[in-house]
Amino acid sequence: MTIRKMLMASVAVACAAMPVSAIADTSGKKIALSNNYAGNSWRQAMLTSWNKVTGEAVKSGVVAAADAFTTAENQATEQAAQIQNMILQGYDAIVLNAASPTALNGAVKEACDAGITVVSFDGIVTEPCAWRIAVDFKEMGRSQVEYLSKKLPQGGNLLEIRGLAGVFVDDEISAGIHEGVKQFPQFKIVGSVHGDWAQDVAQKAVAGILPSLPEIAGVVTQGGDGYGAAQAIAAAKRPMPVIVMGNREDELKWWKEQKDASGYETMSVSIAPGVSTLAFWVAQQILDGKEVKKDLVVPFLRIDQANLEENLANTQAGGVANVEYTQEDAIKVIEAAK
Amino acid sequence: MRMLDRVSRSPWIWSWLAAFVVWFATIMVTGGASTLDLSQAALTFAAFSIIVGIGQMFVITLGPGNVDLSVPSTMTLAGTVALKLMDVDNAMIVPGLVVAVLIGIGVGMLNYALIKALRIPPIIATLSVSFIVQSAAIWTNRGLRIKPPSFLADFTTANSFGLPNVAIIALIISIFAWFLLEKTVYGRWISAIGQSTPAAKMAGIPVDGTRFVTYVFCAVLASLAGYLLACFSGGAALNMGSEYLLMSIAVVVLGGTAVAGGDSNVPGIWGASLFMFLVVSMLNTYGLGAGIRLIMTGLIIISVIMLAGGRQPGAR
Repeated sequence: MTIRKMLMASVAVACAAMPVSAIADTSGKKIALSNNYAGNSWRQAMLTSWNKVTGEAVKSGVVAAADAFTTAENQATEQAAQIQNMILQGYDAIVLNAASPTALNGAVKEACDAGITVVSFDGIVTEPCAWRIAVDFKEMGRSQVEYLSKKLPQGGNLLEIRGLAGVFVDDEISAGIHEGVKQFPQFKIVGSVHGDWAQDVAQKAVAGILPSLPEIAGVVTQGGDGYGAAQAIAAAKRPMPVIVMGNREDELKWWKEQKDASGYETMSVSIAPGVSTLAFWVAQQILDGKEVKKDLVVPFLRIDQANLEENLANTQAGGVANVEYTQEDAIKVIEAAK
Repeated sequence: MRMLDRVSRSPWIWSWLAAFVVWFATIMVTGGASTLDLSQAALTFAAFSIIVGIGQMFVITLGPGNVDLSVPSTMTLAGTVALKLMDVDNAMIVPGLVVAVLIGIGVGMLNYALIKALRIPPIIATLSVSFIVQSAAIWTNRGLRIKPPSFLADFTTANSFGLPNVAIIALIISIFAWFLLEKTVYGRWISAIGQSTPAAKMAGIPVDGTRFVTYVFCAVLASLAGYLLACFSGGAALNMGSEYLLMSIAVVVLGGTAVAGGDSNVPGIWGASLFMFLVVSMLNTYGLGAGIRLIMTGLIIISVIMLAGGRQPGAR
């Protein structure tokens, strides 16, 4: 180590120790979470993770406050008003799960102009001044078909369960699935229904289309719909196809029951709701003065036959398989993007 | 001939006709092989719409402006609390049911308290109650999904005499509702209030009491549907009621009940509920994209309402 580097390091330490230093200290900063929806188990897990991780961060003095706000109606206009309130309340950063990728851009721009750091995740915004922590949803869809091609090399008919019509995430995952089918042409999608990421809606939709379908080899899903599909197929007394699951506890539990009873094999893939905590740490790092690229990618959480039991044991009853991120994880993701 | 004339004038015939056409178009895809499966699926899922639809119909019959928007959140709260209380224990089925019904009574009373005491229009009052109830549901179990007791799970998904059990429950409730509407003084009172509240008051009808009972009845049916749906789909979810907000109103209107109130129709609810399930199945079966599917659903519903709405005055 050269003398020069040592000097610089000691200066940095001195700066960090000083109570009023301009950078490298976020203990006086306030971060807000703007969330558009709380009405399903994934979002509930997301908020719980946020409270848990940020609660500790506030207690240990990393940041001054990390408050979570959820809009009641899942409307972009309502969330825009919420962001404007946050600007007035003087938050230093806003972590955002947006109702719409474009409709909030005006409010996000206002926040940026007021000097506020905006980090969007899961439901990202296109406004260039905001950071985006996105999931490669296309790959999530494609990897399902890839898995099926290994499991069922002879191919067969697929039933696709989509999410909520008109939502960006639904289009992306579905595009990935169709890409996968092009890549592995031994598969054919014979039916497609919208399950709205909810077990009961998926169950209803699958029960409605099932009578008209030929035998199905696999079901490709988007998460939150696999258990409903299994219920509908079981009720119709059809042979159980390979249903790709979405990390929900009820899905994993059903998979475990089938695995124990008949050696049923599948896989499960989704985003961990704890991605909110990754967004929190990224915001903290930006406030800390770190240079962070505007577009970051978060890995998805995949569960396979071998680690099913372990993941099931770690998943809260009725919840979603989850990972909570640490400051080190965030630094790793930031470094990886550079 | 007069018989045919009467039938064609009854407002419920159109929803039944539409349901039949859609049913026929769907089974034709597989050359009739799917007839039994599709019919059973339709009856099963229609049953839930029928139960909430009947409650909504009673409220809508009370006249312009009367509607209960707290139906979905009531279903969610009743489902979550009942399943949490039963906690997979077959011995707790009856207490679970009682609690679900009590929740319905509570929500109904709260609804009417806001409408009457604070003079808030029903749409606003029931919407605000639905926020409170939904938050209560989130607060009780944070989205946890608890399995129903095994007996209930089997019962709600099984058939008796070829008919789904939930459809049989819906049938019993429908007969009870029809009896209430057509054969009791209470039913006459609802219709009278819906046709003209001032006139009903002049005639000495206890308007407040009748409206109160009706809102409570609607909420109880919603909580009952939530209880059954949670057991049927293997656990309560926070968003399980959401599609029944529009559904409960749509089946009432499609079924030939007057939106302006004062004239209700139980058989129409059945036709409309079957139709609402079958139309989605049909469009899914034909493999149309989501956009076209939604537009088609809208167009088909509008045409059925137009046909059903063309009733002659005095043909009640």
